[in-house]
Amino acid sequence: MTSIRNRLQDKVAEMENVAGHLEEIFLTVEENFGRQEQHLEQHHNDVLQTLSQRHNERAAGLVEEKKSKMEALYSQLLSCGQALDASKELIETAQEIYRTPDKRVFLKVALTLSTKLDFETPPADLSDVKTMMDSVNAVPAPSAPVINPQMSNSATQTSLRVCWSLFSDDTVEYYDLYYRPVLEDTLADGFCQPHVSTVKVKETHCTVTDLLPNAQYELWVTATNTTGISPASEKALYMTVPSPPVIKQRECTSCPDAALIRWESGNTNPVDSYTVELSEMDTDGTQSSITESIVAVPTCQCLIQLLSGRRYLICVRAVNIGGPSDKSDPVYISTSGTFFYFLEETAHPCLSISEDGFTIFYGDEELPISQCFDFAFRCVAILGDLIPVRARHYWEVEVDEGTEFRIGVAYEDTERNSYLGVNGSSWCMRHILSSSRHKYEFLHNGWSPDLRITVHPVRIGVALDYDRGTLSFFNVNLEQHLHTFQCHFRNSVQPCFSLDNPGSLTVHNGIEAPEYTFI
Amino acid sequence: MALTQVSSNKCAGGLQKVFEHESVELKCKMKFAVYLPPKAETDKCPVLYWLSGLTCTEQNFITKAGSQLAAAEHGLIIVAPDTSPRGCGIEGEDESWDFGTGAGFYVDATQDPWKTNYRMYSYVTEELPKLINANFPTHPDRISISGHSMGGHGALICALKNPGKYKAVSAFAPICNPMQCPWGQKAFAGYLGSDRSTWEAFDATVLAASYSGPQLDILIDQGRDDQFLSASQLLPDNLIAVCSEKKIPVVFRLQPGYDHSYFFIYSFISDHIKHHAKYLNA
Repeated sequence: MTSIRNRLQDKVAEMENVAGHLEEIFLTVEENFGRQEQHLEQHHNDVLQTLSQRHNERAAGLVEEKKSKMEALYSQLLSCGQALDASKELIETAQEIYRTPDKRVFLKVALTLSTKLDFETPPADLSDVKTMMDSVNAVPAPSAPVINPQMSNSATQTSLRVCWSLFSDDTVEYYDLYYRPVLEDTLADGFCQPHVSTVKVKETHCTVTDLLPNAQYELWVTATNTTGISPASEKALYMTVPSPPVIKQRECTSCPDAALIRWESGNTNPVDSYTVELSEMDTDGTQSSITESIVAVPTCQCLIQLLSGRRYLICVRAVNIGGPSDKSDPVYISTSGTFFYFLEETAHPCLSISEDGFTIFYGDEELPISQCFDFAFRCVAILGDLIPVRARHYWEVEVDEGTEFRIGVAYEDTERNSYLGVNGSSWCMRHILSSSRHKYEFLHNGWSPDLRITVHPVRIGVALDYDRGTLSFFNVNLEQHLHTFQCHFRNSVQPCFSLDNPGSLTVHNGIEAPEYTFI
Repeated sequence: MALTQVSSNKCAGGLQKVFEHESVELKCKMKFAVYLPPKAETDKCPVLYWLSGLTCTEQNFITKAGSQLAAAEHGLIIVAPDTSPRGCGIEGEDESWDFGTGAGFYVDATQDPWKTNYRMYSYVTEELPKLINANFPTHPDRISISGHSMGGHGALICALKNPGKYKAVSAFAPICNPMQCPWGQKAFAGYLGSDRSTWEAFDATVLAASYSGPQLDILIDQGRDDQFLSASQLLPDNLIAVCSEKKIPVVFRLQPGYDHSYFFIYSFISDHIKHHAKYLNA
């Protein structure tokens, strides 16, 4: 019993301790709070005081200003009134005097202060006439020259050839040509006019250099002789020729009958159109002297009809009113077979592409989970950029023995988050490796025929025929036919490639389709 | 080698004919069918030999398989012999449908009473081609071979035993491993005797294991609903396993819903003719 009592007593003491502590803490908090309150109040008062002071100052200032302005206005009003009165008096006087029949009296009275009535015949001031007589042999100042409109093919990327002529038989010592770039902003508000440059020339033409490409310039000219400067000519608008476009080598595709060329404008501002130039290359590499031009191409791509089994050199020029730009760097197109690169933007993040652009690698490294979720593409795949021409196309795919892959074609809008061959918008050959046994499926809509293939193909030929509606697969090394899909392709399809395990595959294209592929 | 024409019908722009002759190998009268495509009127054509299966004659293929359109398109002559010697008067030859008449198994028999007449292997590989080349506009070196069931077995062994002779080979539901199935065991025991080592020379699976010669490209179609497949008479898996190991190129297609009949052959005969044409017309 006593132990329990003792324990209870201890507990009570503890609790009293705790209570005491709590009280202390409470008091301290109260103190601090009180202090804070005081500070804030003080601060608040200071701020209020400053504000009211400023307000009063400003108000006083405004009042002063108002007063002085009023005073000034009042004095102006006064003097105005006085002037009015004086004028009124003058008018009345004048009217009165005018009514008198004797005009001379009017004159006399009106002009008493300044002029005598009688003529005095002062010597005629003929100094002006004298000057004019003296300058009969001298030349008049020229009239404004006439500036010509821009001649075609006279401009380059950085220069303009400007011509003008004299209005009449003026004598001119030299001309001043003024020019400034026409910027879109200045047409709006007229502030911030660009800098006007000037050139002094003796001839009636001038080549202005150091200009920007694909830019509009305003030009005018004045003529000067000993007598003076003519007025400015009318302003003419000239345009420099654009910079040459840049052909996007990796986005050009071709097949035996056509090529699709894509390029970047090469100019920040729009141009009017593009001209595509092509010429055939002979077998020994020399360029034919005949160049074919396709003009008025409105966008940055062009589909050109070509002959099969040849080699072509293709360039692009940008065109505006100033004329055509220089030739772009060329692209070489060979129409021996179908040629395409991978569409890099369709690549799954786990895939990397070789430098030459024809091999894809699926590495072992793990992707950060966030990237996996963002990119809803469960199939580690990539599409090819096949030219959208409904003809026959052939390409080959080289794979490793151990690579599990799917290769075939798919519509551009195929669902990206499902495996190739699982839906109705893709057709593919699939290789599965299970305990070193090779299995093959030819998938479309999730269905495959039941096939055994005894020799594992490492180089697979894919033959697409839009007209016949067939997609065929071959073992290239054996010239062995593996399978053909019969399908009607309602839209253009893209070659598709996917790797189901780490490995690589290489695309070979630009190859002439072997005879047996399109029997 | 006198040929007597038995019938001639225009078909797919060409001519489907049947001939009869006295066979030296088989020592009896034999019939065979020949399809001549339109191209044969003006040019030499390659020849595809078709071997039919158990119980068939030279008629089944030409009336039921629908091969003439594709043959005309690709310019191939198709020769379809009978499946065994007929009317030889051998005792027991008509007892079973899977042995004797209509079941020659494309071997050269070594046992009595069959060894005199039952020499279908030599007939198909030697006598018949000579006869065809002498009487029709052919390219003698451009021949290929195909067949169904027992004829599929025949086509495979002819190709494997004669490397380089046939430019292409294909088969429909072939008997791939006769030594291991009831049909083959019955036929070989009767024609070749009880020494199983003599059977090996006529078994495609065994021949494939020791094949050496120009590369082959074998196309095989097999109906999945074929009753004889499930009865273990055909055994394609054995052949595929050996070809996988020996790297003999085979494309084997299991066709769902199809059985052993000529409806099955009709459905895929143009794929096979295209397969043969690729090599015969190259």
